[in-house]
Amino acid sequence: MSDIGFLYAGYGVIWVVLGVYLFTIGRRQAGLKRDLERLEREIERES
Amino acid sequence: MTAERASEATRAGSDRRSLLVDALGVVSIVGVLVGLYLALLWAPTEAVMGDVQRIFYFHMPSAWVALGPSFTVVFVCSILYLVKKDLRYDRIAAASAEIGVMFTTITLVTGPLWARPIWGAYWTWDPRLTTTLVLWFIFVAYLMLRASSSPGHKRARLSAVVGIVGWVDVPIVFMSIRWWRTIHPLLINGQGMNLDSSMAFVLMYCLAVFSLLYVYLLIIRVRQEELGSRVDRLRQQLLMR
Repeated sequence: MSDIGFLYAGYGVIWVVLGVYLFTIGRRQAGLKRDLERLEREIERES
Repeated sequence: MTAERASEATRAGSDRRSLLVDALGVVSIVGVLVGLYLALLWAPTEAVMGDVQRIFYFHMPSAWVALGPSFTVVFVCSILYLVKKDLRYDRIAAASAEIGVMFTTITLVTGPLWARPIWGAYWTWDPRLTTTLVLWFIFVAYLMLRASSSPGHKRARLSAVVGIVGWVDVPIVFMSIRWWRTIHPLLINGQGMNLDSSMAFVLMYCLAVFSLLYVYLLIIRVRQEELGSRVDRLRQQLLMR
């Protein structure tokens, strides 16, 4: 691989790691919100 | 009427805070994109290493965010948890450890991509590289420990001990290039920074922007940890019925 190839690979990895991390945070947030709404509904129904 | 006004004021305050956090997120991402432009196009080409040296503008700030704020916040919050027994500190430590592992991963991958054309090898068991890899393993273990145990004070106590003991490696990573013979570049020595002024500017800019990105990620991850603990409490509440 040429120097430019290593440079692009380096920056590519940075954006992939950051992107995957932000995507994971987003998915986890959506899951937690869903769980919260479901649990609140269940508690309301039981009370 | 007064209670209604108080609730409205709380909601307005929370909306304003959310807006500020969103603005911080936008500023951080735009800042990183500007950093990318400065690193790839604006900064002059290094005379000896050539273009591959440009990896360094994101490599070093990633290492700084991981070793500086991320793992130090884990260390401080772990001590605070052990002293005060307040789970809020445990949540901040967990959020910061995760961000630290993410930035250490970037450091450990971009370093070898720079090293291959410069040193002729992706990896050497150099003290700086080895101690950084050990740090990564320690905090991956910290996250695995948390993921495999149930939430509560027992998990928080165990995590705090691992977080404090693990942090001991941070000053070792920092000092490794001064204590032992190493081939890792030494950027800052007794005479100051070994960099051309425009390269130093890009590096300082990227350090500032990565620090800002860390603050943003920490805020959203701490909020998520709080939401998670609320979900756990509601689950317990349902089970008790």
